[in-house]
Amino acid sequence: MRPFRKMAYPYVVWVALMIVAPMLLTTIYAFTTRGNDVKTINFTFANFARFFSDPIFLDVLRRSLWVALITTALCVLLGYPAAYIIARANPRRKILLVLLVTAPTWINMLVRTYAWMGILQDNGLINTFLALFGLQPLKLLHTDFAVILGMVYNFIPFMILQIYTSLTKMDPSYLEAANDLGADKVMAFLKVTLPLSVPGIISGITLVFLPAVSSFFIPKLLGGGQYVLIGNVIENQFLTSGNWNFGSALSLIMMVIIMLSMYITRKLDRDESREDGGRRL
Amino acid sequence: MSKPLIQLKNIVKEFDGQLVLKGVSLDIEENEFVTLLGPSGCGKTTILRIIGGFLDASEGELLFNGEEISSVPPYKRNVNTVFQKYALFPHLNVYDNVAFGLKIKKEPKDIIEQKVLRMLKLVGLEDYGRRRVTEMSGGQQQRVAIARALVNEPAVLLLDEPLGALDLKLRKEMQHELKKIQQEVGITFVYVTHDQEEALTMSDKIVVMRGGEIQQIGTPTDIYNEPINAYVANFIGESNIIDGVMTADYRVMFGDKHFDCVDFGFRPNEVVDVVIRPEDLDIVPQEIGKLRGTVKSVLFKGVHYETVVETKAGTSITVKMHVSEPTPATNDAAHEKISANDFYLDMDDISELDDAKIIARADAQAWNTETDELVSISSVKYEIRHENGTYPVTFSTAQDTSITVNMVVAEENRVVNMAYEEEIYAVNFFKTTDDIKESIALETDLKTWANASAWTLDGAAVNITDVVYRFDAEKIRPGTYNVTFKTQGYEFVVDTTDCYKVGDIVGLNFAPEDIHIMSKG
Repeated sequence: MRPFRKMAYPYVVWVALMIVAPMLLTTIYAFTTRGNDVKTINFTFANFARFFSDPIFLDVLRRSLWVALITTALCVLLGYPAAYIIARANPRRKILLVLLVTAPTWINMLVRTYAWMGILQDNGLINTFLALFGLQPLKLLHTDFAVILGMVYNFIPFMILQIYTSLTKMDPSYLEAANDLGADKVMAFLKVTLPLSVPGIISGITLVFLPAVSSFFIPKLLGGGQYVLIGNVIENQFLTSGNWNFGSALSLIMMVIIMLSMYITRKLDRDESREDGGRRL
Repeated sequence: MSKPLIQLKNIVKEFDGQLVLKGVSLDIEENEFVTLLGPSGCGKTTILRIIGGFLDASEGELLFNGEEISSVPPYKRNVNTVFQKYALFPHLNVYDNVAFGLKIKKEPKDIIEQKVLRMLKLVGLEDYGRRRVTEMSGGQQQRVAIARALVNEPAVLLLDEPLGALDLKLRKEMQHELKKIQQEVGITFVYVTHDQEEALTMSDKIVVMRGGEIQQIGTPTDIYNEPINAYVANFIGESNIIDGVMTADYRVMFGDKHFDCVDFGFRPNEVVDVVIRPEDLDIVPQEIGKLRGTVKSVLFKGVHYETVVETKAGTSITVKMHVSEPTPATNDAAHEKISANDFYLDMDDISELDDAKIIARADAQAWNTETDELVSISSVKYEIRHENGTYPVTFSTAQDTSITVNMVVAEENRVVNMAYEEEIYAVNFFKTTDDIKESIALETDLKTWANASAWTLDGAAVNITDVVYRFDAEKIRPGTYNVTFKTQGYEFVVDTTDCYKVGDIVGLNFAPEDIHIMSKG
C-alpha cells in the first residue's frame, strides 16, 4: 500500500486547489462586506438578509426550482423509454444508438443552444417552414417552452445513459423468473424491471436536476433578457453589478439547497428499497 | 398405466447451426422425481428450458397432459423453475419474493399470506419473511427460491442444478430436504445435475445424457447395476473399464485370461468393454486371485482405501542420459560465452533438419558475460549424410564465439508391444548437470529431451504415464543414467478396507456376476 499512497498527493493538491479553495473563498465572500483586504475582514449576514427579505429573489428561486423540476420530470419520461429501447436492441444497433445519444454532447453546449435560437426565432427554421404553408408564425423563442426545450435537450443524454446502464446491468434471469411465476411482459416490467432500474433513475435525476437548477445561459439565450432564473442572478452579481459578496451568498444558498435535495433523493431511494423490504408481516 | 404428465417427442434443438439436442424422447410421469444427468454441454439444461418455455425446440413435440404446449408462453404454463443462481428479486424481501406469483394471479391477500407462511414453514424459513434476500446465505436463498416456485402449486417443478453453489455438507442436507419436500407436496420434480451421487440419492428415474442424446433411462439401481454402456458406467460411479473379447456366451477374455460371466448374446469374438466396479473387486493373496498384480497407489478416501492394482505393466523403453559438466566456450575479446550439447538424431529426422531445429536439439545458447544477456547464434555449420555416424556441428555468433558439438545418427530406439498394440519411442540424450538441477518439471523435461512418445499401432497417441529414473536431480554428477518411460498398463481400482503397501504383489478376485459386459460404442 505504502508506495501507492504517495501517488495520491498530486490529487490531494489538485482537490485543495480547485475545489476546497474556491469553496472557502465563496464562503468568506458570502459572509463579508465589500472592500475587504487581507488585513481587515468585516463579517456580516447582510447578504443573506437581503436575499430572504426580497420577494423578487425568492420568486426567482421558486421559478428556478420549478423549471428544473419540470425539466427533470420530462427527462425521466422521455429518457426512460429511450433507454429501454436501447438496452433491448441487438448489440450492433445498441452501439449505434448509444452513439446517437452521446454525439450531440461532443458539440459545445453553448453552440447547440445558439442553434436552437436559430430554429426557434420569429424568422427561424420552424416559422419559415410554417410560412411555406401560409400559416401564421408562432412565438417560440423567449418563452417557457423554449427554455424547457433547451434544458431537456441539453441534459437528457445524462438521464438516458444512467437508466440504460442500470437496465443493461440487470440479470436477464430476473425477467425469466418473473415470466416463470406468471407475469406477462407488462407485469414483469412493472414488478421487476422498473423497480430494479430505480437507482439508475435516481442518479439520472441528480445529474439532470443539479445543472438544470443552476443553469444560466440557456434561460438567457432561449428565454430572453426578461427570463431570470437564479443562475442569471448570480451571473449578474459577478459580471454586471460587481457585487461578489452577494453573488457568493446566493451561490452558497444554492449549494445548500442542492445538497439538501441530493440528501432527500438518496434517502428516498434507500427508504423505498427498505420499505419494500419491510412491508407486511 | 396412466398417461405421462410430460412427453417429449423427438425434440431437436439447434443453436447457430449446432445441434444441442439430437432428437430426445422422454416421458415424465406424475409425482416422479426425474433427474437429467450428464456433463456440462450435454443438453440437459436445454431440455429444462424447453419445458419451462424459455426456449423453443427446433423440431419435435412437447406434450403436457397430452396437449401440445410448444406455443404456450412460460407465464401460462403450469410449471415453475428454480433457477441455477436462484434469480431472487433483490428489491423484494423474502416474503414478497415468495408471494410474487400469487400477487400476479391476484389472489386475495389473506389467502396469499396463508400460503406464503405455509411454504416458508415447509422450507424452514418461517422467521425470515422480512429479511432482504441479499442478506441470506446461499442455502437460505436456495430455500426461498424453492418456496417461491412451489407456492404456485405447479404440476411440475423444474430445478436447474440448484445445489451447485452450495458446499458439500449443505448440499447433502438439501438433497434430503428436497426429496422430503417432493414427497410431501407430491408433485413432479425435473432435476438437472452433473453430480451422479445427487442423482442416485434423490431420483425415481435417472436420464443419463451425453452430447445431446439420451444414453439410458432407468431407476438409480438399474442404472448403477446395469449400465447400458461404458460411458454410463463410468459416469455413474467410478468403474474399471477394460477391453475384452466375448469368446462365447457366458465366456469373456480380458487380461489374457478367460473368465465366466453372466452375459450372452454377443457376436462370437466381439470386442467389448468389460466393466467391474471397484467395490466388487477383492484383494486376496496372490495364489488364489483370478488376476495378479502389483499395488501401484493407495489413496485414503475416508470410509475405504482406493487401491490401484496394476495387473500388467505398460510398454516401456529405457534410454541413456549422458550427463556432463557444463563446458561453455569462451571468447574473452568479445565478452561472450557459448554452450551446446551433443545430441542424437534419427535417420528420419535428417531430411527435416534446419538451423532452428539443430539449435533447439543441441540446446545451443550464447550470452554476453558482462550483461548476462543472450546473444543470437548467427551461423550453424554442419555436414550430414543419410547414414549412421557422428557429425560435428559448429555454432557461432556474429562476434565469432563458437562451439562444436556432435550430432550422432543412430538406429531408431523403439519398442513395439503387440499385446497392447502400441509402441513407444525415445532417444538417448546428452545434458549438463545444470540442465537437470535447474529443471522445474523434471519428468516432463525428460520426456521432451528424450523425444519420448507412444502411440497405438493404428496411430493414436498414448500417454506416457510413468518416467522412472534412479538419480537425485539435486545432486546429479556427470555420468550415464538410465531413464525409463512407460505407458499405462492394465490397472484396476479396488475399494478396500485394508491398507496395502505400494509394491505389494496381490491377487484380485471377483464373481462372474460382477463382470458387466457392454458393446463398444
